[in-house]
Amino acid sequence: MSDDIEFYAIDPREAPQERAEVRELLAQCDLDLEEGIETFVVGRHGRRLVACAGLDHNIVKCVATAPDWRGSSLSLTLMSEIVHLALERGHLHLFLYTRPRNVEFFAGCGFHALAEVPGHVSLMENTPVGISGYCRRLAAERRPGQRIGCIVMNANPFTRGHEYLVRLAAAQCDWLHLFVVREDVSQFSYRDRFALVHKGVAGVPRLTLHHGSEYMVSRASFPDYFFKEKGIVGDCCTAIDLLLFRDYIAPALGVTHRFVGTEPFCATTRKYNADMQYWLQQAPSAAPPVAVVEVPRTSCEGVPISASEVRRLLRAGHPGRIASLVPPDTLQLLNDKYSPVFRRERPEVSA
Amino acid sequence: MQIVKEALAGTLESSDLLVKVAPAADGRLELVIESEVMRQFGAQIRRVVAETLERLGVTAGLVVVEDKGALDCAIRARVQTAVLRGAGQVQIDWSRLS
Repeated sequence: MSDDIEFYAIDPREAPQERAEVRELLAQCDLDLEEGIETFVVGRHGRRLVACAGLDHNIVKCVATAPDWRGSSLSLTLMSEIVHLALERGHLHLFLYTRPRNVEFFAGCGFHALAEVPGHVSLMENTPVGISGYCRRLAAERRPGQRIGCIVMNANPFTRGHEYLVRLAAAQCDWLHLFVVREDVSQFSYRDRFALVHKGVAGVPRLTLHHGSEYMVSRASFPDYFFKEKGIVGDCCTAIDLLLFRDYIAPALGVTHRFVGTEPFCATTRKYNADMQYWLQQAPSAAPPVAVVEVPRTSCEGVPISASEVRRLLRAGHPGRIASLVPPDTLQLLNDKYSPVFRRERPEVSA
Repeated sequence: MQIVKEALAGTLESSDLLVKVAPAADGRLELVIESEVMRQFGAQIRRVVAETLERLGVTAGLVVVEDKGALDCAIRARVQTAVLRGAGQVQIDWSRLS
């Protein structure tokens, strides 16, 4: 039946007419056209647009089939098309957001459920050996102890505040696992952030430093985090990320406590901290609860130290005030690599 | 033959299968098979996939098969195509594949 459907890819930003048709089809299916989707595969029957599936890097979103075309093989063909297109773009490992009621359909397309906020949203991945393989590798890093701590930090960039949090958590635990957020969309590159954390925690006993993964604070697990400048984060966005942590990562490593600094400046991070209390400790889950330890931020001259404050000072052209907020290695990197960029972009402060 | 990059062959349509191959993370050959007819034919599908890989000389890599009730000949063809795409080499000894 779907043989007479023609499938092809469009860039919604460059095809306003088709973008409008996609928006209309999504609306019929109770979905919004999300920003950030660089490609849609659309299916056309004659002149009518009857199916669409969007791709935002390695995340499949906005999948819709016209109501009168459901039950045919159209949706399957559509999913095959988007999976092949994603591979052409270099993405074999895909994630997919959908409503929980559609999980069964996408399971038939090779996707496997990872986490669900009941009644709202489910995250799936297109491999049966994704998170299970990851957890198997993590479990090899397990350390014995009653109190196993974990910190997930972006360290954008690494400050005296991060240093304080790590040392305090390490002192309170039998072992501390420290992850650096891997997604490379922050102001400071992953390579630089990881190197700074590596230097900053050198000599802290009973600590393992880990590379982050797609399963923690990534574009897939927490899509809005990286666009926090744009506004408030929806309820479900933090939940998926936190459920992945509680259901998979914490059990793999035997994590009992997650440490986090209080957040005085950034609304997104503050909300993440608040949501953490619920999803890690209270929400129903097969996995044991993880105690959340929110550590009051350390201050410098009465001002709490925060990476977002360091970035603000850098943007505002006050490199001098940064020196007391960051360790020497971070300061050197800012001077060598990042500060000159700002001075070039802001000629008025270069004098 | 070595799998040096991620590759894909096939579709999710009924009577077909989708085969994904990727380089091995730890030098082992890992075979993951999912099928709508796993109970009746799971062992047979696994045997066909393993034999095809052996003929191609693939000894390491991750091979994921999503089967939708394909015949053995379709399974062989899709596995061959995915491996050849993932091997990044174009010299094909067809006699080994028949």
